[in-house]
Amino acid sequence: MSDHNDVHLEPTPGERFSKFLKRGDIRETLAWAAFYTAVFVVLGAYFYPKWMPTVMSTDMKAIERLMVVFTFISAPVCGFVMSIFTQTLRHRHKGDTPPPDGPAIRNNRLATSVFAGVSSLLCLTAIVYGLVELNSSAEAATKDAPNALVVEVTGNQWVWSFNYPSLGVESNMLNLPIDRPVIFRITSADVNHSFWPVQLGVKADANHLATTLAQTTPIKLGAIDVKCAELCGLYHAYMETSGEVMTVSDFNNWVTAQGGHSA
Amino acid sequence: MTNTKRAASAILSTLLGIAVVGAVGITLHTLSADPAGKLVATKSADTITVDGKNYPKASVTMGVYPDSATAVEHGSKPTKKDYVQYGPSNHVVLPAHTYVTMTLHVYDSGEKLNNPYFGKVVGTIGGTINIDGVDVSSVAPDAVQHTFTLHGLPTSSQDPLFVNVPLPHVEVNDKDEFIPTNDPGTNNKGHTVVFSFLTGGKGEYVFNCEYPCGDGTYAKFGAAMSAYGYMSGKVTVA
Repeated sequence: MSDHNDVHLEPTPGERFSKFLKRGDIRETLAWAAFYTAVFVVLGAYFYPKWMPTVMSTDMKAIERLMVVFTFISAPVCGFVMSIFTQTLRHRHKGDTPPPDGPAIRNNRLATSVFAGVSSLLCLTAIVYGLVELNSSAEAATKDAPNALVVEVTGNQWVWSFNYPSLGVESNMLNLPIDRPVIFRITSADVNHSFWPVQLGVKADANHLATTLAQTTPIKLGAIDVKCAELCGLYHAYMETSGEVMTVSDFNNWVTAQGGHSA
Repeated sequence: MTNTKRAASAILSTLLGIAVVGAVGITLHTLSADPAGKLVATKSADTITVDGKNYPKASVTMGVYPDSATAVEHGSKPTKKDYVQYGPSNHVVLPAHTYVTMTLHVYDSGEKLNNPYFGKVVGTIGGTINIDGVDVSSVAPDAVQHTFTLHGLPTSSQDPLFVNVPLPHVEVNDKDEFIPTNDPGTNNKGHTVVFSFLTGGKGEYVFNCEYPCGDGTYAKFGAAMSAYGYMSGKVTVA
């Protein structure tokens, strides 16, 4: 009979994991992953806001926040992928005869569970956060609707036109007063276009015989670039116009100069 | 394969690639050339003062007509010789920082604008155009035959330039006054539309018609309306 001390025990998952982490190549891989993750976190926190268009509305602010958070969420995933890519390059085989493949690993439940669990958690976080931002935008639109300035936006091949029905003004430029909610009623006179005032963080389809609603509140003075984001024919590239978020007094002066009246 | 043959193959392949890319480039350049040449505005020795600033003057005359004589060369639909088009060229060259007076002889019928905004005159001196001797600031959306709508990329470094001129339609079968064109078969009564605008610095712009005068596709913006050389063109401010 064997002694009690001679019984061979299987290592626990924790022991296996601890042993796994002590391997030199694994530590190297984790270090690279941490490095790349940090790079993408810095990109998301510092550089992306600088590279993106100027934030001039509540919606653009929400979009920028969403982009940054999504970058944070995806940074570890990208970090691990880049890390494995780096390790593959560093430890690639040199010489004519490649070594045989190692045995396939099919029974590491812990690794599989961690991979699936973390991936699901990251995706779920992104979905929930995105829905929360979307809902907050919709709630703001409902709350601000009574005070909003309505602008009827019409896409034509290949010119935008803007009608301010409450002011009696029509223009080929999109001028808006600061800090006042605006509701865009968007349509097309011909083919499908996409209304995209870049700095306002709004992009909505402009479809013939249909009206699409979009809402935002300009919060910063400055120039707006209005583009078409739907390939719409010969001069699609020229379907741009400009506009400006103005002080209330400047906006009223512009309305008067256009022959309109104050709301 | 010897090293010499390898090198020769590599050089030959590279030269072949360059030849193919060059041939494609030359072909595309040839196809995109202006079929009717450039229409250069005539400069005048006169000057004019606008808002306290002196500008040299220039003028250019164009027509809007179904032109079977050149339609075949201009467009991609040779069977549609009666498609209306701007002429004598769809590439207009204007001098920079100049008071440009444009005269358009137009004689086409019309129906209704898709967007009434383009019935308004925008961007001309005084906000008006002169139709057969009468100054107007707009044309009713259901009395328009075409529009001359000039625009460009406002976000580029070039000066903004936006001009919209609605062109009044003529009554169908009204043949009292014939304005000659290259197409002797067309003799509706026409209108003469004159307007002026200021050019900025050098730049590339485009013009097109905002009246739905194409075929039945894309809300009547198909066919000739979507092809370069009929109701659209470019304006070079040089």
